[in-house]
Amino acid sequence: MDDDAFDRLCNFFSEISFTDAQKVRFRSLWSFIEVPRGTLITEAGKVERYFYFVLEGVQALYILDQKGEKVVLAFSYAGSPSGVFDSFIAQQASPTFLEALKPSKLLKINLEAYLSLFELFPEFHKWGHHFFRNVLFGRLFREVEILTMSAEERYIAFMQRCPEALKVIPQKYLASYLNMKPETYSRLRSNTTY
Amino acid sequence: MATLFISAENQIHRLNLLTEKIRALQALPIPILTTAPDAKAWSIIQIVDHLNIAYSHYEDKVSDALNKATSIENDKKPFKARIWQGFIISGQRPKGTKRKWKMKTMKRFEPDTIEQSYEEDQMATVFQQFQRLHAHLKEAILTGRHKNLYHMKISSAIGPIVNFYLPEAFEFILCHAERHLIQIEETKEQLSKKEL
Repeated sequence: MDDDAFDRLCNFFSEISFTDAQKVRFRSLWSFIEVPRGTLITEAGKVERYFYFVLEGVQALYILDQKGEKVVLAFSYAGSPSGVFDSFIAQQASPTFLEALKPSKLLKINLEAYLSLFELFPEFHKWGHHFFRNVLFGRLFREVEILTMSAEERYIAFMQRCPEALKVIPQKYLASYLNMKPETYSRLRSNTTY
Repeated sequence: MATLFISAENQIHRLNLLTEKIRALQALPIPILTTAPDAKAWSIIQIVDHLNIAYSHYEDKVSDALNKATSIENDKKPFKARIWQGFIISGQRPKGTKRKWKMKTMKRFEPDTIEQSYEEDQMATVFQQFQRLHAHLKEAILTGRHKNLYHMKISSAIGPIVNFYLPEAFEFILCHAERHLIQIEETKEQLSKKEL
């Protein structure tokens, strides 16, 4: 991992103030991976082995419907965490896939090392509280969006908050995330301003 | 008959579950693995051995076909099985936890040790071979995600009377294994009522 990648990782954990010695230890727990587009970083039916931090690229977390179509649950992108968190924490096989939609560079940490962070650095408990609170609020907000908003409202709300990196991935993934047909997404994209 | 949609991701999910279930069998006591519930039935280890024999008929054909297939960049849609092939696949696919109907196995797919007992090291070899062969299948499915498989036909293990495009072949192999996984569960259930 280069210094720039490590700085970005430290920024993600901004609640924690490391001493120099702690930084060395913290850094040693992470490793770098680079994967081409289309790679299944985590496969359904397997236990998630890592917690990821994204340096580059976009990844989709999805489940399959009865026709084998991908139903997108979430995206991750540069600066965000990634992985199948429920499987990672529970160490149970996941029904979801994590796929690189763009060539991706990530930092990863395994469960043993992840848990050791809370022992080594008590401030990680504060980070953990914020992190899981954000995950919970994000899921609740999305549920409300899906259940109460029209397709056009969902499209506008998403476009107003989503990072630029997400706007260049294949439309079918965005349409699936917004719970609409690709044709509807395409029509909204042509006719809607936000 | 409804169209059978086949997606590589669905197959990978099911294959991961299958290989983990077979891996877990290794922890069973040896009498459970080696005892047939009745004179006409197979033991669990014979069933796993049969799955190895079945896939070994496909291993080289699959590798050759994948080597010849051209790469593609675009995302693939789920593959639609053809009618006859869909029918053959559906015949293997279990319905919930039931096998649709019982089939007579052709001689060449029977385990080698059909009339002998398995030594402990032989059983370890059977399980290792299962994981190796099904790792090959998984690699083939993963590689196939980035290849055009619409023109890559192979003949089935029973001969050219049935030919498959690769996604159909993968689906057939998986459904066949899932069918035998149910047979394994039935065998365990039957043996649990016996004193071994």
